[in-house]
Order: sequence, then C-alpha cells, then structure tokens
Amino acid sequence: MVVSGSIQSRSLRNPFRLTISGKRALFAYAIILPTIAIIFIFRFLPMLDAFYISLTEYDLIRPPHFIWLQNFVDLVQDPLFLHSARVSVTYVVLSCVPVWILSLALAVLFNREIRAKNFFRSATFMPVVMPAVVNAVVWTFMYHQDGVVNTILEWFGLDPVPWLRSSKWALWAVILIGIWRATPYYMVIFLAGLQAIPQRYYEAAEIDGAGSWRQFLFITLPLLKPTILLVMVMSVIVAMKVFAVPLIMTGGGPADATRVLPLFIYQTAFEFFKMGRAAAMSVFLFAAVMIFTIFQIRLFSRGEE
Amino acid sequence: MMRGSSRWRRILVTYPLLFLICFIGLLPFYWMVSCSFKTNDTMFLMPLRWFPDPINWNAYGEAWRAQDFTRYFLNSTFVAVAITLGNLLLGSLAGYSLSKFRYFGRGVLFILILSTMMLPLEVTMVPLFLIIKKLGWPNTYEGLIVPFIVEGFGVFLMRQYLISVPSELIEAARIDGASELRIYWGIVMPLCKPALAALGVFTFREAWDMYIWPLIIVTKDSLRTLPLGISLFMSSFGTAWDQLMAVAAIGTLPMVLLFFFLQRSFIKGIAISGLKD
Repeated sequence: MVVSGSIQSRSLRNPFRLTISGKRALFAYAIILPTIAIIFIFRFLPMLDAFYISLTEYDLIRPPHFIWLQNFVDLVQDPLFLHSARVSVTYVVLSCVPVWILSLALAVLFNREIRAKNFFRSATFMPVVMPAVVNAVVWTFMYHQDGVVNTILEWFGLDPVPWLRSSKWALWAVILIGIWRATPYYMVIFLAGLQAIPQRYYEAAEIDGAGSWRQFLFITLPLLKPTILLVMVMSVIVAMKVFAVPLIMTGGGPADATRVLPLFIYQTAFEFFKMGRAAAMSVFLFAAVMIFTIFQIRLFSRGEE
Repeated sequence: MMRGSSRWRRILVTYPLLFLICFIGLLPFYWMVSCSFKTNDTMFLMPLRWFPDPINWNAYGEAWRAQDFTRYFLNSTFVAVAITLGNLLLGSLAGYSLSKFRYFGRGVLFILILSTMMLPLEVTMVPLFLIIKKLGWPNTYEGLIVPFIVEGFGVFLMRQYLISVPSELIEAARIDGASELRIYWGIVMPLCKPALAALGVFTFREAWDMYIWPLIIVTKDSLRTLPLGISLFMSSFGTAWDQLMAVAAIGTLPMVLLFFFLQRSFIKGIAISGLKD
C-alpha cells in the first residue's frame, strides 16, 4: 500500500513516470477484467434479471407477461409459501444454534494438550469431507426404520423413530445432518481464532488462580467475539441455502415438512415452470440474506473502530 | 495432590468424550463402506451386523455397470479441475491487481467482487438458467464451468495474501526491466504457493460437491456429474442399498484422498473462509 502510494506521488512530479504508471494501471485493469466480466454476466445480471422476472408471468414457452406485483401478492397469501418460509426459519434456527455451541466447544477441546491430537482432530473433521449428495444418500440409509440410527437409540432403551416417513420427525432428521456436517467446519474457524489469542493471557490468569471455566468466560469469549459473530452470520447464510439433503432424502415431504425455501424455489421453477413466481420467492430469499449481510458489514465496521 | 487428581479427572472425561465424537464423525463413513460389502438380504437383519457377513464383493461392479459411472466420474473430475484452475488463475490475477496496483475505481471493484460472496446461487438460479439458455449452454461443459470459473472468495483470499507479501521483489524486477506479465508469473505466483494451495483445495471441494446447478442445466446422460449420477441411481435403484453405498463410497473417495494428502491446505482454506477482516 505504502509503496504503491509513493510510486503515484513520484509519477505526478515526472511526466515520463506518468506514462509508466499509466501503463501499469492499464495492466492492472486488464488482469482484473475477466473477473469483472464473469461476475457481471453470471452474478449481477441474473440478480437484476431476477427482479424483472419476479414482475412477470413466464412459463419458458410463451414470452414473459408483465403482471406488476401480482406474484408477490399471491405469495404472501399462499399457505404453501408461508409454510415453506416457516420450515426454512425453523431449520436455520434449530440447526445453527447447536452448531455454534458444539463447534466452539470442540475448538476449545482441541486447543488443549491432547495425546494423538492429529488423529482425533482429523476424525472429527471428516464430516466436512463427505460430499452433500453422498451425505444425503448415506443418512437416508441410516435413518431407515431398521437402520443404524434406530439401533443406537435402542441401546439407550429408546423406541425406534420413523425418521423420514413422519412429518413430525423428518425435519429433525434433516437438521441433525446439518449439525453433523457444519459443526467441524466452524470448529476449524474457531480453532484459528483461538490460536490467535496470545498464550500469555492464560498464563497470567493461571498465576492469578483463575480456573479453566473462568478463563473461558473472561479471556476466550471476549477475545473471540469477532470470530463468534462471523461464524453466526456465515452459518445462518449457509443454512438458508440447504437444498441437496432435503431434496434427495424426502423431496420436501412428508406433507411438506422439509420443503425449505430453496427447494420450493427449485420446484416452482423447474418442475412447475413458474419462473416469475420462483423469481419472486428468490427476491424474498435475497432480502433475508441481505439483512444478514448488512448485519455483517455493520459488525466489520464496528471491528475496525 | 489436588492438582494431580483434577488432572486425572480431566483425562477421564476428555478421552471418552473424544472417542464419542470420533464415533459420531466416522460412523456414516464406516456404515457406508461396510454396507457396500453386505448382501442385500443381510442389510437390515436384526440385530444389525457391524461387519459384513457374508461378504458381498459384487456391489461395486454391478453398480458401475448399471449406469455410466465412469463417464460421470470423468465429467465431475473435468468440471472440478477446470473450475479450480480458473479460480486459481483469475483469482490470483484479480487479487494481484487489487493489492499491488493503484488505479481509479479499485475500491469499488473490490467491493463489487466481495459482495458476490453474499449472493447465493439459490437466489439467482432462475435468471442464471435463462441466461445460460440464451447462450445455448444447457447440456454443455461451458454451462457447467464458466459461471463458476471465478468466485469472490478466491479474489478476496489472493488479495489478502498478496497484501502481506512485500512489494520490494516486484519493484526490483521492474527495475531489472521484467515485463508485468513475467513479474506476475515468475515472481508473484511462486510467492503465493501456500495461498494457491489452500484456494485450490477449497475450490475443488466445492466444485466436486456442486449439485443444484448441474441438476438444473444437465438433462443429457453423457454430461451428468457424479452427484447427479448418485442421486439418479438412488431414485431408480432405491432398494439396492449395497450398490448405492458402493457408488457413494466412490464419490467420497477423491475427497478423502484430497484431505489426507493435502490436509494442511484443506484446513487452511476453511480457516481463511472465516477470516474476512
């Protein structure tokens, strides 16, 4: 930063340098151009397009027909959409809160002196390695009525649960998978945050006779606050996008119990070919993500003060 | 005395807990692999068998022949490699531009690129599909690759890394008369190796995992990626659990290998995804 600043101030004094720095700027533009082009065509253009399509009726066969805000009016009165939004919110809350607690707890655990730490940490990390579709397939098998999950419940004297066949349990099945897969991911982020805390704080607390629980409350938590807030926002955005697992495991059922918003958008667009309506739902999802993004930007700016 | 007993208590709590966590983390892997060697009629016999008995060696071959999994595997590999290389190249170029040059609009461009990190595909998939349709790209490799050939995360990661790289080496090469492109390829890229490795592994994992997008734009069998092949296999052979677990295991294997051989970069990419300051 400092060096490139001095180049510019030098170039202002010397006309010959100016052309060199002009050439350099041209090079800088040239190497960022492909990225800008791709991002414009495949991110921003679709984003703007989504707003336009959300104001039309479009079935991919006849040309789009402009209907103003009709899609939005229909949506807020559509019990299926409201139900789907409720399922999504339930999924986000019930999967994210345990993930925050568990991933932080695991990170604290792995930040200690442990024998064979690498082995334990790698094993804990493995859920992140499993692809989403494989995850859905394997858990469908494990959730089978006579499957391994119910067998383990039986060890503890619990009754078998009709996981994917009951509208009461199916969302819980999806939530448990979400927790299983997301926890080690955020554990890694928390571990990075923990390792950035200087060891001398703990040494000083040790001398003062503070126990590990007090150390956690008065050193770890306050110093980890930026990481905690970031993980909270990240995990919520990721959870809002859950798609492959409910689609493959239940297709949104039974009785719409697991029809999260992205799944409903997908089905509206590519099974029922109601592009306008699906785009209107996307706008709702976008608004939800935006709220969290703004929340996050505010966190950043607070962190910089 | 007090110290010693609390230490023992800690050990007695910690290690059983660790084994429990590992059990939960590894159970689906173990179950997938062991059941791919079970016969279908012993699959749900009560009480459940933890070891396959008798061992069924045929599931892998039968599943592989039931659908064109070789093709799906190659498609997935090709698409993931192309997306990864694209992100490494374009991400490092853009990150270099944003970190070591000064020009009009740099800050705005950076924020624009950064903002795409918050724009999930689920929001834009409908219009993106329409754009791909206009380009004539459904059922093509272009359609699978080009929209994801550069991501905000890659640019961000490379920029952050390059800011910490001293500019003296670049300046010295300029004085020696090296061209800008040579400086990028010969000096900047080698300096970025750790960041490139982390980004490469991270991107490859995400690309290998991609499901919703291929599901939307691929209808031809010859273009199916592995996740599509596996989910299709599940809907058409839903009761052949041994074969289903076999293809699931093969779909997981490249990720497991990647993790074991490039563990550091694998973990670093994820750790960096949480350091956005």
